Amino acid sequence: MQLAIFRRVAAGGAVAALAFAGVGAATTTPAYAASSKVSVVHGIPDTPVDVYVNGEKTLDNFKPGDVAGPLTLPEGEYDIALTKPGEPVGSAILKVDDAKVPGGANISLAAHLSADGKPQITPFVNDTAKLAAGKARLIVRHTAAAPAVDVRAGGKPVFEDLTNPKEAKADVDAGTVKADVVLAGTDTVAIGPADLNLKEGTATIVYAIGSAEAKNLDVVAQTITGLHSAPGGVPSGTGGQAGTGVDTWWYVLAGAGVLLLVGGGARVATTRTGRR
Amino acid sequence: MTVRHRGALAAMAAGVAALTIATVVACGSQPADDVGTDEAAALASSNPPSPTTGTGGGPSVPVTAGGLPTDERTVPPVKLRIPAIDVTATVNPVGVDTRTDEFDVPPSVDQIGWYRYGPGLETDAGSVVIAGHVDSSEQGKGAFFRLRELDRGDTLTATGADGKQRAYRVVAREEYAKTKIPLDRYFARDGKPRLTLITCGGPFDPKTRHYRDNIVVTAVPA
Repeated sequence: MQLAIFRRVAAGGAVAALAFAGVGAATTTPAYAASSKVSVVHGIPDTPVDVYVNGEKTLDNFKPGDVAGPLTLPEGEYDIALTKPGEPVGSAILKVDDAKVPGGANISLAAHLSADGKPQITPFVNDTAKLAAGKARLIVRHTAAAPAVDVRAGGKPVFEDLTNPKEAKADVDAGTVKADVVLAGTDTVAIGPADLNLKEGTATIVYAIGSAEAKNLDVVAQTITGLHSAPGGVPSGTGGQAGTGVDTWWYVLAGAGVLLLVGGGARVATTRTGRR
Repeated sequence: MTVRHRGALAAMAAGVAALTIATVVACGSQPADDVGTDEAAALASSNPPSPTTGTGGGPSVPVTAGGLPTDERTVPPVKLRIPAIDVTATVNPVGVDTRTDEFDVPPSVDQIGWYRYGPGLETDAGSVVIAGHVDSSEQGKGAFFRLRELDRGDTLTATGADGKQRAYRVVAREEYAKTKIPLDRYFARDGKPRLTLITCGGPFDPKTRHYRDNIVVTAVPA
C-alpha cells in the first residue's frame, strides 16, 4: 500500500499534523481500477466547516458527526481545505495539498482531534475484503483527544490499548452487541455503552471523537455495504426420491436387452443358414 | 420352425421388451429443460451504473449523519403458498451452518428457510432466497419435492411478518450441478427485486446420499 497518501502537508490557519495510521493496511488494487472511493468523516466537535477539493467547494456547512461520500475520485493528487462556513478557501483552518489518492482503494479522510487536542486530517484505508457468509466486520478508530482505550463488547475487551490515531478491526458473527469504550486497562467507561448492530456483509467503522478534557467524547459511524459472500452451498435433500437420471438396474436391463437381441438374432441367422 | 429357432425369437422379443422399458424409464428420468435462464441472468445484472462524481460535482456529495447503525426494517417471509404444486409451507429465518458454511436449510422437511442475511420481502433490490428440502431419508418428501415442476407464469404468494401478502410470478427454472451453480447471483443484494427458491435435484448418489444438482426457481413481483 502506498505509504504516503499525503505527500505534503501545508498548514493553513491551524497546524495540520498528519498521521498515517491505517494506511499500512493492505488493500487489493485491481489493475483496471483507476479511481477510488473517498469518504470524509467529521470528528471535530463544535466546528462546522466547508470542504474544498482542488479549490472548489465540495461540502457546504459540513457538520461534526456527519459522514460525506463516498465520492468516486479518479486516481491523482488533490488539494483539500477546510474553512469556517462561508469563509474563502484562502483562510482555511486545515489544509492538505497534493493529497495522493491511489487507484482502486476505499479511503476515509477523518478530520479529528489529535491525542493532544489539535485538529488534523488522518487518511484511513478501509478494509473492503469480502466477508464469509454470516460475518460482519467491526473497525474501531481512535480519533479523539483522549488516552489509550479498550473497546469492550458484552463486557469483554475485544480491542485493547488503542491509541490515537490508530484502528483495530475484526471479522465477527453478524448481530447486535452491547459495546463500550473504557480507559485502557480500567473499567472507567469513556463512551457508551451502546447497542452496535453489525449487519452481515457490511463493515461498520466506529470513530471515537471529541475530547476527554472537554467532556464531549462521542462516536461517529460509517458503514460500507456489499462485502457479503454467498453461502458455500444449499444442501436440501438426502432421500433420493426425486432423483433424476438412471440407476444401476437400468444399465443391467439395457445391457441384457442388447445381449438377448443380438444373441437371438445370431441364432436365427445361423439356423436359417444351416437349413439352406 | 424349430424349437431352437423359436427360442431365439423369444430371446429377441425379450431383448426388445427390455430395451423398450429402459428407454421409457430413461426418458421419464430426464429432468425438464431449463426455462428463463436469460431472464434470470438479466434480473441479476440490471444495476444502474454507479455514478461517477467528479470534484466539480458541486454539492451533490451525499452526507449522512454518522449515527450508529440501527436495525433495518426487514420483512421476513413467514408463509409461502405455491398453488401449482400444492405447497403451503411455514418459512423460518435461517443463516449459515457455522460448521459447513452452507445454507442452514430447516431440518424439518415440511418447513422452508429464508436467508435472513439477504433482503426481506420489502426489498426494492436483490434476491430474497428461500430454500427447502426436496426430501430426506428419514422424513420422506419435503415441501419443495415438486419444485422442479414449476413453469414460467406459475404464481406464488409470500406472506410477510407484516401480515401483507405479496404475489410473485415464476420467470425461470434452472438446474445446475452444485459445483457450478452461480450462487453469488442468487444471493445478490442488488439487481431487480426477485424471489429465488432453491432445492436439490438431478441424479441422486445413494452412497453419499446427496443429489448432484440444485433446482433454482426465480420469480418476480407479479
